[in-house]
Amino acid sequence: MINQMEPAPKDTEYDLYFGPAHPGSGNFGVKLKIDGEIVTSARADPGYLHRGFEKLMEYRTPIQNAVLSDRLCVLEPLNWNLVHAEAVDELMDIDVPERAKYIRVIMAELSRIQSHIIWYGAFSIGTGFDTGFKMAFGYRDYVLDLFELITGGRVYPAGYICPGGVRRDLPNGAMDKILKVLDQMDEMIKLEELENPALDARAKGVGILKVKDAIRLGATGPVLRGSGMKTDVRKEEPYEIYDRLDFEVPVRREGDAYARYIIGIEEMKQSIKIVKQALEELPEGEVIAPKFKKPKVSVKIPEGEVYVRNEVARGEAAVYMVSNGGSTPYRCKIRGPDFLHMIPVLEHLLKGAQIADVPAIYWSLNICPADMDR
Amino acid sequence: MDTKEPKLLDEIKSKFNVEGRIQRERRIWISIDKERLIELCTWLKNQRFEHLSAISVTDWVKEGIFEVTYHLWSYKDKILLTLKTKIDRKKPVIESVTTVWEESAQIHERELHELFGVKFKGNSDLSPLFLEDWHALPPFRKDFDWREYVREEHYDKEDGREVVYYD
Amino acid sequence: MVKRSEKAKTMRKLIKAIWIFNWFNSCGFTELIPLVGSRWDMERFGMIVVGTPRQADVLFIAGYQTLKSIKRAKKIYDQMAEPKVIIALGSCTMTGGMYWDSYNTIKRLDDYLPVTIYIPGCPPRPEAVFEAVEKIFGHVKELK
Repeated sequence: MINQMEPAPKDTEYDLYFGPAHPGSGNFGVKLKIDGEIVTSARADPGYLHRGFEKLMEYRTPIQNAVLSDRLCVLEPLNWNLVHAEAVDELMDIDVPERAKYIRVIMAELSRIQSHIIWYGAFSIGTGFDTGFKMAFGYRDYVLDLFELITGGRVYPAGYICPGGVRRDLPNGAMDKILKVLDQMDEMIKLEELENPALDARAKGVGILKVKDAIRLGATGPVLRGSGMKTDVRKEEPYEIYDRLDFEVPVRREGDAYARYIIGIEEMKQSIKIVKQALEELPEGEVIAPKFKKPKVSVKIPEGEVYVRNEVARGEAAVYMVSNGGSTPYRCKIRGPDFLHMIPVLEHLLKGAQIADVPAIYWSLNICPADMDR
Repeated sequence: MDTKEPKLLDEIKSKFNVEGRIQRERRIWISIDKERLIELCTWLKNQRFEHLSAISVTDWVKEGIFEVTYHLWSYKDKILLTLKTKIDRKKPVIESVTTVWEESAQIHERELHELFGVKFKGNSDLSPLFLEDWHALPPFRKDFDWREYVREEHYDKEDGREVVYYD
Repeated sequence: MVKRSEKAKTMRKLIKAIWIFNWFNSCGFTELIPLVGSRWDMERFGMIVVGTPRQADVLFIAGYQTLKSIKRAKKIYDQMAEPKVIIALGSCTMTGGMYWDSYNTIKRLDDYLPVTIYIPGCPPRPEAVFEAVEKIFGHVKELK
């Protein structure tokens, strides 16, 4: 009988603002035009967190900028600290001591693990899997306690990775504690890999991004690796000591939300491997270059320009710094991975999707609005 | 250092009229006039420089120019090439590269239009991105004294605790 | 029977358990998420997070506000029902914090919305929120 009925009326179009006050979204708004159950077009509305970071950095010396650079993305502060410190090191031609390089890599990889845990938790709660969220944030606190022991702050390390090396050495007993925390991370990953048919149904085949589209729209990092391209800045132009370490780069071909979610879990395993290797090979020595040992607040930066690329948890991050001989940088341009993920890639993926799939697509891109607005 | 970087630089120098230098492994910096920019960009895209990492503008107030830089990465050769062009500060107009790199270039140019005031001819969407109801100069220019602006809008000289921000 | 003013009577309704509307902000909110987790479980005190301002008692403003987002925060505050309380987290709400010279952030939340209690820190630890809620309850008990 239902096949002989008239079809539904035609004027079912309306606008929906999936905005910042919605509990399923972040600090970011998307204007959706919907026809029935299908999204016909999406337009991103950024700017809720714009502070003018690049201009703030022009008025502060490099040591003061090291403290400011953690606040670029609150979910992974140590990785952004590292990009800024590398840019200043290259511009001022400083030799960073070996022990400092190893400690920098250990802290950056621990921060990557912690960021992927947040990604796992947010993706779970976006698709309705509440237990995953509670478990993830329970385990994340072990890593934050470790940060508090080494750097002094749970979330913001107050510029721990600064130009010239790191601020202070690892305290006594830190290495054993790091190994214990890594064992707990292994336990957590075993739990995360258990099968969950509801999550699979919501994430498989949803939000497919093809490789050609991904390169054209500017995607990098796990989003590009989920579509089939094997690329990682740590392997292509190794910085710090990544060329001496042995790790793999996980790649999947399908390009849907489930593939990106699995890559997050695989990357955590690789990060644990990297930290274990770095702890074994940790040499003795100084942790900061002699020029920055007695902290003088203002040092002159020689004239020049430099472009440094790094792999943060969300993709490719870069800093372009220009100096004209003063004590503050003349121009500091920051390129974040989320600027491309949240505006072109999201608008492309949401076209033609169903309303019920919008949270799964949105959270599978691993967004951080602070990095986009700067 | 490989022979890839010098070979690429020599090829570009022979085809186009540019000045270039190799800073270190994997970094080439090239200066070019704005008239031949799109031609060079199209040629580079065919040489597998598919990834546009960033576009940035530097404001040199004393010389009266804006310097626009394009940072390109090649996944095949693993080289980062930077193109630098200069445009006049009083009438900042330049051709858009959306014909070459499409959406990833469009969003960078939209941000620079809002923050510096540079007009990109050929970009289909240059509406404001971050700021709402902004009525002063484009904020990232060097002649916008923003500490003065913040003092006028937000701080009060009469208040005893805020006098320190006025020195 | 003790005679109480109208304001004291409405505020005492808050004492039982407070429901929070989390105006999802900038840096401060990363230390509010562990509050929901299993280490500093806030549900044992009766505090839960709700999805709409019409059902909430408390509005958490956790971090710096830009000119764009303070307008939306004001609209949300107007939609809440009495009795309502605002808790401001972080040093950016007091003096502008790290971004005191930025052209797009506001420097003092008190100029725009009536704040009941400030929690200092950058960002403050999760236990500080419990202490702040206890102080609010103590203040409400003493209202005449």
